[in-house]
Amino acid sequence: MKKILVYSAALLVFASCGLKEEFQPVFTGKYDNPSPYVYYDDSDFGKISTIAEVCAQYEVGNPILLGSKGETIIKGRVSTTDQPGNFYKSFYIQDETGGIEIKAGKNGLYNDYLEGQTVYIDCDGLTLGMYGYKDGSYGGMGMIQLGFNDPSGSYETSYLESPLIIDSHILRGDPTDIKKVTPKVISSASDLPDGKSATQVSSNLVGSLVTIQNITYGKEVFVLLYLDSTKDKKAATNRVFLSSSNNAADPTCGITTWAMSKSKMIEYIKSGVWDACKVGSGSTYPTYEDGSYITVGSLAGEDGTYSGIEKAAYSVTQYFKLGSKDIQIRTSGFSKFCDYEIPEDVLSGAKTINVTGIFTFYQGGVQITVNSLDDFTYSDGTPLYK
Amino acid sequence: MLKKLVTVLCTLALGVTMFAQGFTGGVKGTVVNRAGRVPIAGASLTLSQNGETIASQKSASDGTFAIDNLDNGMYGLTVEAIGFVTLNVNVTVDGGFVKDLIFVSMVASQVVEDVDDSSFAEFDMDDSGYTDTPTILFGASDPYTNLAGYGFSSIRFKNRGYNSETQDVYLSGVKLNDALSGYSPYSLWSGLNEATRSKETTIGSETADFGVGGVNGQTNILGTPSSVRPGWRFSVLSNSALYRLRLMANYASGELDNGWSYAINVSARLGGNDWVEGVYYRNFSYYLGVEKKIGDIHRISLVTFAAPGQRGAQNASTQEVYDLMGDNMYNSNWGYQNGKVRNSRVRKTFEPVTVLKYTVNPSENLEVNATLLWRTGFNGYTALDWYDAADPRPDYYRNLPSYFYLEDEDYNRVNQDKYDWAYYQWTTRGKAYQNYQHLNWDRLYNVNYNNPDGRSKYALEERRVDQNDVNFAASAKWRQSDLFTLTGGVNARINRTENYKIMNDLLGGQYYLNIDSFAERDFAIDEEKIQNDLDYYLAHGEAQKIYKGDKYGYDYLAQVRKAGGWANATFTSGGLTANIAGTVGYETFWREGLVRKGLFPDNSLGKSEKSQFLTYSGKASIAYVLQGGHRFSANAAYMTEAPTFNQSFVSARTRNTLVSDLCGDDFTTKKTMAFDVNYQLSTSWMQLRATAYWAKIFDQTDVMSFYDDSQNSFTNFAMTGIAERHMGVEIGIKVPLPVQGLSVSGAFAWGDNIYVKNRGKDPHMVQTIDNSAEIVRNEDVPYWVSNPVYKKEFDEEGNVYYYDDADGNYILEGYQKHYVPSSPQIAAELALNYRTNSYWFFEVNAQYFGKSYLDMNPLYRTQYACSGADGILSPAEVEYMAGQESLFTRADGSNPAYTHFLLNCSVGKSWYIQRKYNFGFSLEVKNMTNNTWFKTGGYEQTRLISSVGKDRYYRFDPKYFYMQGVNYMLNLYFRF
Repeated sequence: MKKILVYSAALLVFASCGLKEEFQPVFTGKYDNPSPYVYYDDSDFGKISTIAEVCAQYEVGNPILLGSKGETIIKGRVSTTDQPGNFYKSFYIQDETGGIEIKAGKNGLYNDYLEGQTVYIDCDGLTLGMYGYKDGSYGGMGMIQLGFNDPSGSYETSYLESPLIIDSHILRGDPTDIKKVTPKVISSASDLPDGKSATQVSSNLVGSLVTIQNITYGKEVFVLLYLDSTKDKKAATNRVFLSSSNNAADPTCGITTWAMSKSKMIEYIKSGVWDACKVGSGSTYPTYEDGSYITVGSLAGEDGTYSGIEKAAYSVTQYFKLGSKDIQIRTSGFSKFCDYEIPEDVLSGAKTINVTGIFTFYQGGVQITVNSLDDFTYSDGTPLYK
Repeated sequence: MLKKLVTVLCTLALGVTMFAQGFTGGVKGTVVNRAGRVPIAGASLTLSQNGETIASQKSASDGTFAIDNLDNGMYGLTVEAIGFVTLNVNVTVDGGFVKDLIFVSMVASQVVEDVDDSSFAEFDMDDSGYTDTPTILFGASDPYTNLAGYGFSSIRFKNRGYNSETQDVYLSGVKLNDALSGYSPYSLWSGLNEATRSKETTIGSETADFGVGGVNGQTNILGTPSSVRPGWRFSVLSNSALYRLRLMANYASGELDNGWSYAINVSARLGGNDWVEGVYYRNFSYYLGVEKKIGDIHRISLVTFAAPGQRGAQNASTQEVYDLMGDNMYNSNWGYQNGKVRNSRVRKTFEPVTVLKYTVNPSENLEVNATLLWRTGFNGYTALDWYDAADPRPDYYRNLPSYFYLEDEDYNRVNQDKYDWAYYQWTTRGKAYQNYQHLNWDRLYNVNYNNPDGRSKYALEERRVDQNDVNFAASAKWRQSDLFTLTGGVNARINRTENYKIMNDLLGGQYYLNIDSFAERDFAIDEEKIQNDLDYYLAHGEAQKIYKGDKYGYDYLAQVRKAGGWANATFTSGGLTANIAGTVGYETFWREGLVRKGLFPDNSLGKSEKSQFLTYSGKASIAYVLQGGHRFSANAAYMTEAPTFNQSFVSARTRNTLVSDLCGDDFTTKKTMAFDVNYQLSTSWMQLRATAYWAKIFDQTDVMSFYDDSQNSFTNFAMTGIAERHMGVEIGIKVPLPVQGLSVSGAFAWGDNIYVKNRGKDPHMVQTIDNSAEIVRNEDVPYWVSNPVYKKEFDEEGNVYYYDDADGNYILEGYQKHYVPSSPQIAAELALNYRTNSYWFFEVNAQYFGKSYLDMNPLYRTQYACSGADGILSPAEVEYMAGQESLFTRADGSNPAYTHFLLNCSVGKSWYIQRKYNFGFSLEVKNMTNNTWFKTGGYEQTRLISSVGKDRYYRFDPKYFYMQGVNYMLNLYFRF
């Protein structure tokens, strides 16, 4: 009997030691809610630079890796939200010198960086670059952005993307101190910075949340369709511009929504309103062997499904006028409000509107990106949509 | 304890016939193995009366025995044979007749088989529609299954390459394979090892007394209280591969003099293991049974059992993740919450089963059984759910270094700096990085805190599959004469299973919204289309807010009705036995939506069309027994089976569309044709079985849902016309060695179990967009069965060049066949066993496995995936995309012909104290060489990567499951 006890004791000891390092056991009781994140404040940093100071390091065409001159911290309040989907994988922060896009590179950023929350950016290791610059007489400035380097050469910056890069560089301020950014008001064309030269360095409107007042519908759109997005997107044979230059008869191309979801796009194309638009890129329009242009209409197919054109959600630029200046309101086809109709009285020019959004330049042109439908009001302040 | 009558084991077999045989009485019969009726030679028979031995004898080589010169009276007959449970039979001799017991059937004793289906990693197929359950062979007095059934289970060996649902599992005579999936239902009684120990089994295509069966064996767990081994039994088990601790207690009364039997079995399985972190058990189980024998004719039993509890599951990852973590057992399901380990995938079940069984023996030649069985309760499985927020899984592909940089420039992943960051994030150990390597619960809560109105963006859903399953089965066995026995039965099943989700945990938020985030991507502006419950929205003007415990997402009933009958006739003459059997069945099922889905307002609520199937099967077998324990047999079977509910709806979550709506007549019954021939040798000295089998299964259907990058959409994929051909041999042998107590046994299986064309045609697929039901592809899957191999050459740098002929066409060299996956095609085991008279036993066994292949995703075998976006198929593309990966390779992935060796050993000892108490232990150490490179299975992902030139696609990496390294199981038991 004694022997048995010795045996079993030995065996139990052996078993309890195991043959491998013990894991922390899984807790199977009721879990406590984790405590809120610790957040940063100014005292956690030394010098805090302004957005304009950081942007001043950038020269057009030369993306710059920050941090080689020591730590650079900028601070601003989040002025955008990707919740309605018009901003995608990035957000803007804004200080008194202007605003800048932080190319974070993941979905649902508004969950982590609340609209109106203070965010600190540790710029060390990030890349400052420009998007949307075009030289020449028709071109102009784009936007200086903060992102990561892009060795592929497609753009001057890429998204941060990697979770550790994001968390090491985008540092949250107090989540209970939420103050939504007040838009700066632009009421005349003379208030607009010059798209040939202005950047965040020279104008605090650039990259900032603005309200542009009393703009009139410009009866013109710009949309870039692809025949097949899995193929080369830059080939002229794979593109269709829905624009004034490709459809002089109707520069709106029949598009009366802010953008188009896939289902809306199918509705538009099947209505035939784009049939006259030619396949091509800028001034290059490929032709069939008989010399005739490849038009959208010619790709309708016998069943009228336009199977030769990629059915997808597309972004739309709707042109408005502030005095003589074009104001492009560019809206993503993935935004939740993309299929909302622009009201008839706005389309007809009977009423002017105010629009609130991020002021950006694209090839020198003024482009406004709104956060949500609430950003559209009639000039008397009544909302466009209830 | 007195040895009780093990009546249940012999009432079936003991037809009692009398023959006038002169003045003195006697008893005679043939000792056979219950499974397969193989005569047992050399069984020792002891006849006793009032504790005194009257006569003893050994059975002859054909199993026969005869004891005569007996006075009238009651005798006890004890039959003992190596490898079988000792049998006690009461025999009454009167009138001077020789009582012919015909067959004295013995049930094989089970050596070591605390096999538990939970020993297998949870197969989470990433919602691809693939699911799997373990396949276990059954212990039987068969030298092959005895060894392979236990020995091959840790590597998930599939017997003859067949899926788990091909095994018919009965409980008290009711076939209990899942009504919706066909899977074997072991989890219902896991932990109740004692109560479910007594079982009858057949192998291959053999028929049984409880049913005609399929092609992969049948087992009937007796489950009645009188079949539970009598006495008290307690055990404590610790297992480093499964759970830390199992406690089990069992008491069975055996059959008392007043005809009652009771049994109770309880157990608890608790804790984690040494290999997979985050996995744990908190499972309990109980079995309560009572049985009464009324007179000599009636027997009625009532049993209820369940295995309630929860356990945390394991998940598969890609090799990249395993390498980054330095651990092939890495589990991405868990993470820290407030420093405590929490698993996001937890199975929570409580499915009580109640069985009422009645047996009657109205005459000596007739036995009738009727069983009513009811299964109810809930079966939940938690998972993270999120809305408009980043994918929380730590091993999401965008979090991995390979997403940022790959050496092959054709992938266009060129950012080395991001790679370095991601690599650092995965390979740096310590608290600051663990939330990147494991699920970051704290972040999920913080996101929810941040939503000012309390709407949760992350939540823990619980997917429920709640069955109500009522079964009735009745069978009769009529022994007309020595020559002819007829068994038959009827069965009926009503299954109503509700499939839905409930909110398990709002993770710090206040509510969740009952909308479909996938629908929102396509129909953002259409408030009605994105509703999971459209009627709620229409009634209240807003989407439903979901609180903890509420149903949401989807909610539908699977309704299944089955009825059938079977008959089995056996002719016996001398050593020759012939058998024919057949079944007919009717099955109908339909979906009944309980909510109206915004996407499909006219096709989601209410009943679907009813699918109806008539099924039938036929079997014939012949066996011949020669003197000396030789038995030759051959079996043939043809059967049709209805597709399961789970294979029949294109997207059961959302709508009533049946596969037949898309695929028409291709959606039909599954047909199986099977043949096998066997040789068995069963003597007291050695046991041998050799089997050759051939089977063809065709007209199979499968459905799955996945994100298709070429469509930029979540899609449903219905495939019909899947066919398999299984062919191979099985050999099992057990022989004693000259040293007393030492024996050697071996098992060998070789198979060529492959996919083949279905009546000369490739499988066909119809792919629809999940949000719109639009058909986007309707074509054959040309590379499912095999992929073409072209003539090629490698240069010194490893570049490949394909030859072409004068016309510029590539030169086809042949086709590489594709194997039925996730199980070795070659398996062998050799075991050396030593037992001493002082109750020590030792065993060492070596195992060898070869040729195992990865489960294939049909998307990668389509023309469009192999051609790439340019639609031009090249030899390199098709060989890469359609080829089937070998699971057995070296650690660096090289040598697809690699084979695995495993070494295991066990030791045990029993002590008897005062002849009454029995105490013992067994210790088993498995995988002694610590082989951590043994892939037991895995699956391909469904995503595609387009090349830089958009001329071809690349696959996402597959995900694998690995076998645990060295592990032990220690069992201490105490019995009296």
